[in-house]
Amino acid sequence: MRIEVDRDACLLHGQCVIAAPELFSFGTAGDLVWIAEPGEGLRAEAEAAADACPEQAIVIT
Amino acid sequence: MSDTGPFHEAKPFLDLADPHFSVRSDAIALARDAHWCADTPYGLAVLRYDDVQKLLRHPSLRQGSYRWPSHNGVSGVFAGWWENMLLSQEGASHARLRRIANPAFSPKLIADLKPRFTTLAGRLIDAFVTRGECEFIGAFTEPYATGVICDLLGLPFERWRELADIAADMGLALGVTFKQDIETIDAATTRLYAYAAELAEERRANPSGDFIGELVAANRDKDQLSDQELLDMIVLAIFGGIDTTRNQLGLAMAVFIEHPEQWALLGQHPELARAAVEEVMRVRPTVTWVTREATEDFAYNNTDIPAGTTLHLLSQSAASDPAVFPDPGFDISARRAPHFGFGGGAHHCLGHFIARGDMTEALKLLAQRLKNPRYAGKVEWLPDSGNTGAIAMPIAFDPA
Repeated sequence: MRIEVDRDACLLHGQCVIAAPELFSFGTAGDLVWIAEPGEGLRAEAEAAADACPEQAIVIT
Repeated sequence: MSDTGPFHEAKPFLDLADPHFSVRSDAIALARDAHWCADTPYGLAVLRYDDVQKLLRHPSLRQGSYRWPSHNGVSGVFAGWWENMLLSQEGASHARLRRIANPAFSPKLIADLKPRFTTLAGRLIDAFVTRGECEFIGAFTEPYATGVICDLLGLPFERWRELADIAADMGLALGVTFKQDIETIDAATTRLYAYAAELAEERRANPSGDFIGELVAANRDKDQLSDQELLDMIVLAIFGGIDTTRNQLGLAMAVFIEHPEQWALLGQHPELARAAVEEVMRVRPTVTWVTREATEDFAYNNTDIPAGTTLHLLSQSAASDPAVFPDPGFDISARRAPHFGFGGGAHHCLGHFIARGDMTEALKLLAQRLKNPRYAGKVEWLPDSGNTGAIAMPIAFDPA
């Protein structure tokens, strides 16, 4: 599984961090940090985060 | 023009508490030109786009409107609900509740909901279109907003009038006449809690896969969703979507009546409906300010902000900031930076995908079927601050 974030669309709301804290977090500089290639077992969490993003900036493949 | 340095002018003062104060007044634009913020009876008002964008998601701030009842010297049933429901929670409990609520408002639902929105809008328009006039809130925006929520939550549409009245009464709490209207507000909240309890009981007896059914299932584990949280969430889901959408569609009509060439454009180009929703929300949002509160002392723009300070982020002012919108006039064909009508950050509006979807279909159909809309009587307005909108809007139009 691959997680990609469109950094131009991302407005740093942090809904992904709420929906899937296992995969997304804010870095010390306030930037978004995520696991780019998580295990398949986290697919439900990844899709919950993609769903919740107000800007629909997350793509799961 | 600089915000820094040893000399800075005194901050402007804006009396947001005054029921006659308008968030669209020249005083706001003048204040915004002079300074990035203003003093208010509650704390600070933030006026410019860049600052609102940053402060919506600033780590030293929490959602601030949980304090609205105490700012207004109010306690009681509505205040109790308000101070405990999702919007007023932070950290782990907020995240837990938000994760439970998110799936019911997923963008994946929109494809299936779109035809139902169009059918509902069409049915409502059919009922008045041949008269060439209507009271737009009562005849359209109110039953439409309520019908969408009924559909989403599996509630019988026959009860829409009752739910719309409850939502309108509760909505008075979100304006500056909160204290005056407290009996009406609390009576409505009590009725909605009773209805929520009825719905929860019904779903316990007949388990279902819909939102309330899922909440009831989660509630079997009280640590996952307590009994009170269950009721608070049902009340939020019903109230949260009715008032806002009802008001926003009324405000949309007001903007388009002021810009008839834009309405004609939308009628000819229904593919602009989605952009029209965004542009309406940029210039006339129903939610005119978003509240934050400082959780610690911090400095911003060379201003010291003590812990506990309430900041009202004026969405309206920010979204017409000349620094970002050199041509700020209403134009549904313009490319625009994002507005703040749904807030931002951790508390970004939960229902926004649904709201954007249902308002898109409504405006699309209205622009096709109601030509040349104009006022046919006096419009009754809520105060132009807090959550605003029209209470009654008599319009006339030429049926297509």
